[in-house]
Amino acid sequence: MTRGFVGKILKVDLTTKNITTEPIEEEVAKKYLGGKGYAVYLLYQYIKQYELKGISPQNIDPLGKENVLIFATGPGTGVPRFPSSGRHHVMALKAPLTGSIGSGNAGGEWGAFLKFSGFDGIVIEGVSDAPVYLALIDGKAEIRDAGELWGKNTMDTTRALMNSVGGKNTSVACIGPAGENLIPMAVIMNDEYRAAGRAGLGAVMGSKRLKAIIVSGDQKVPVAKSEEFRKVADRCLDAIKNNSVTGEGLPTYGTAVLVNVINTAGAFPYKNWQTGIMPDAEDISGETLTKEYLVRKRACWGCTIGCGRISSVKSGPFQILNAEGPEYETIWSLGSACGINGFAAIVKAHHLCNELGLDPISLGSTIAAAMELNEKGYIPEEHLQGWVLEFGNAAVIVEAAWRTAYKIGFGKHLALGSRKLCSLYGHPDFSMAVKGLEMPAYDPRGIKGMGLGYATSNRGGCHLTGYTVAPEIVGIPEKIDPLTTEDKARWVKLFQDFASVINSTVNCQFASFALGAKDYAELLSAVTGWDLSEGEVLKIGERIYNLERVIMSRLGFDGKDDTLPPRLLREPMPEGPAKWHIVDLEKMKREYYTLRGWANGVPTPEKLEELEIEL
Amino acid sequence: MVRARILLFATLRDKYKVGELEVTCDGTVRSLIESADGILGKDFLNRIYDVSQNKVREDLIFAVNGRNMKDMTEEIEIKEGDTVAIFPLIAGG
Repeated sequence: MTRGFVGKILKVDLTTKNITTEPIEEEVAKKYLGGKGYAVYLLYQYIKQYELKGISPQNIDPLGKENVLIFATGPGTGVPRFPSSGRHHVMALKAPLTGSIGSGNAGGEWGAFLKFSGFDGIVIEGVSDAPVYLALIDGKAEIRDAGELWGKNTMDTTRALMNSVGGKNTSVACIGPAGENLIPMAVIMNDEYRAAGRAGLGAVMGSKRLKAIIVSGDQKVPVAKSEEFRKVADRCLDAIKNNSVTGEGLPTYGTAVLVNVINTAGAFPYKNWQTGIMPDAEDISGETLTKEYLVRKRACWGCTIGCGRISSVKSGPFQILNAEGPEYETIWSLGSACGINGFAAIVKAHHLCNELGLDPISLGSTIAAAMELNEKGYIPEEHLQGWVLEFGNAAVIVEAAWRTAYKIGFGKHLALGSRKLCSLYGHPDFSMAVKGLEMPAYDPRGIKGMGLGYATSNRGGCHLTGYTVAPEIVGIPEKIDPLTTEDKARWVKLFQDFASVINSTVNCQFASFALGAKDYAELLSAVTGWDLSEGEVLKIGERIYNLERVIMSRLGFDGKDDTLPPRLLREPMPEGPAKWHIVDLEKMKREYYTLRGWANGVPTPEKLEELEIEL
Repeated sequence: MVRARILLFATLRDKYKVGELEVTCDGTVRSLIESADGILGKDFLNRIYDVSQNKVREDLIFAVNGRNMKDMTEEIEIKEGDTVAIFPLIAGG
C-alpha cells in the first residue's frame, strides 16, 4: 500500500456506464507523485492508446467522447497537518478554449473528502446519453440520474445533493449552466465557491453530461512515519504562521492585497492592457475590500492561512449579501481590464460567475477585448442590441456573466472567448491571450519573467504555472529586478518545476511563500516513507512538466505557440516605472529552451532519457 | 529640502492610520523616514529602517516612483515631488 494514498483510482466510462477501480501503482507515484503528475502520466497512456488505434490526438474534439477528464489528489491531500492540503487537481486531454492540455486546481473541501470517500482520483471517459451525476460514498461509486439537476445553478445543484446525501465529510463538485451550454470558459465549481478548470474544463464535463460528483466518507489517509511527519509539519506550519505573506497579508486582506502593489509597479493592465497603471486602483484594492465589503475570512480544509473572503454589497443595484472573494485576478479582469473601478459591480459579477460556473478571468478579459473593439468602431451597432459596451460601464460586467453563460444577444459572441471574438471582428491582436487562454493581471512589460512564464505555460496564459511575481515584485525567496531579462529563464523553469510538485502533492501554492522544495521533500518523505531529497523532488517536477510538454507536442503545439500577443512584444508601455518597455521574449525563450533541453519547444530524446520518461 | 509623498499600504496603513502623507526631507531616505516618524510616531522609524545597518528593512517593499529600492544599484536620492510607496511583504496569485 502506497502511503499518502488510499490506493484506488475510480474509472468511469459514461458511454457504457461501466465503473471499475485501478490500484495506485507505487512505481508511477514515485516518479510522478499524485495529483497533476499522476494525471499527466495517465493522460499520456491515452495518447498512446489513441495513436495505436489510428486516432490522431490533434483531431480529438475537446467536447467529444475521446476526451478524458481526471480529478486527482496527491499524497499530501487530506492528511491532517499537511499544510493547506484541502485541494485537488483537474485535467483533461484537451481543453476547449485552447486545444492544449486542460489543467486546473481548486481548494475548498472536495479534494480532501474525495480521499475520505475512498478514492485518490477519478478518470472519466466517454459521453453519457442523459445527464448523470457520480456518487462516491464510503468506498462505493454509482452513476445516478441527474435529470432533476440539469439546468440548475451551482448553488442549487450543490444544496440539492448535500441534502440528499447528508453526512460527515460530504462535498459536491459540479457544473452550472455555463458548463451545460458548453461555453469554453466554463469551470467546475466545488463547495459552492471554489473553481477549477480554466480553458473550459466545465464544458468538457458538460459535454459528457456529467452534472456533478458528490463525495462522502471517513477513510483515513495512511502516513508512513507519523512522529517524523508531525515534527516536520509543525515546523512548516510555524514557518507559515511567522511569514509576512502567509501569516499576515493574505489572512488580513486576501489576494486583493496585490492590487496596489502591482499598480505601483506599473504592471496592472488597464483597459485591455493599453497601459499598466489604473488611475483609481485604490477603489478596487484589498484595503478598500477589507474596509467596505468584507464580512469575514474563510479557509479551505486544513488551511491555516485563510485567504478566502466573504464579501457583501449592502445596498444599491449590485447588492448581494454573501459572495465569495473576489480574488486579485478577478478584481483585475472584471475591474481594471474593463476600466471599471466599481467594486460593488465586481463583487456581484464574480458571484454570478460562481453561480453559473464561468471563469471570471477569461470572461473579464474577453469583455475588455470587446470594449476595445467597440471603442475603435469594429463592432456593428446592431450586434450589440442596444448594449453600451464601453470601458468603465460597470453594469456591463454583471449582465455579461449571464448573457455569456446562456449565449444570449452579444453574449453569444463573448462566449467564444477573446481569441475567436477578436478574429471574428478582424482584429485578433486585441485578444490578450496565449494559446487562447487569457492572461491575468500582471503586465509582462513591467514583470519580464512573467512574460516568459505566460509564453511557456503548458495550459496557456496562466499566471500560476511559473509565478515569478514572487521574486520579481515581492522578493520571495530573493529580489530580482522585474525590468531585466537576465537569468529569468532559470527562475521561470524553477518555479514551473516547483509548481508541478505542488500540484502533484496536492496542496496550495500559497504555502510555498513560506516553504521551499526542501520542506516539500521532507513532508512527502515522512508521509510516503520514501527518501526524497530537495533535488529529487524538483526532478519529479521537471519530469511532470516535460511529459506534459510531450502531450502538447502530440496535440500539435511547439515553439511557435510559446509566444505573447503583439501588444506586449511591440507596443512600449506608455507610462509608469516600466515606461518604454516591451517584452524581449526571444532572448529569454532561447535561454529557457537551452536550460529545459528542448528543441523548438519540444523535449529532446536526451532530455526524456535523463528524466527517465518512457514514451 | 524637498517635499515628497509617502504612501502606506495594507497592515502599515492599519497600524499608522494613514494612507498618504507629505513630508519634507533633505533628499536622503533616512531623513524622509525620520520626518514621517515625527508625524506618525509609534516607532515608525524602526519599523521601516534598520538604524544599526543604516538601511531600509528587508521585510518591506519600498518603492520610489514605483521602482523597488532593492532593484536600484545607486544610492537613492529623493527628489521634489517623488512618491515613496511602502508595503509589508504581501503576495497572492
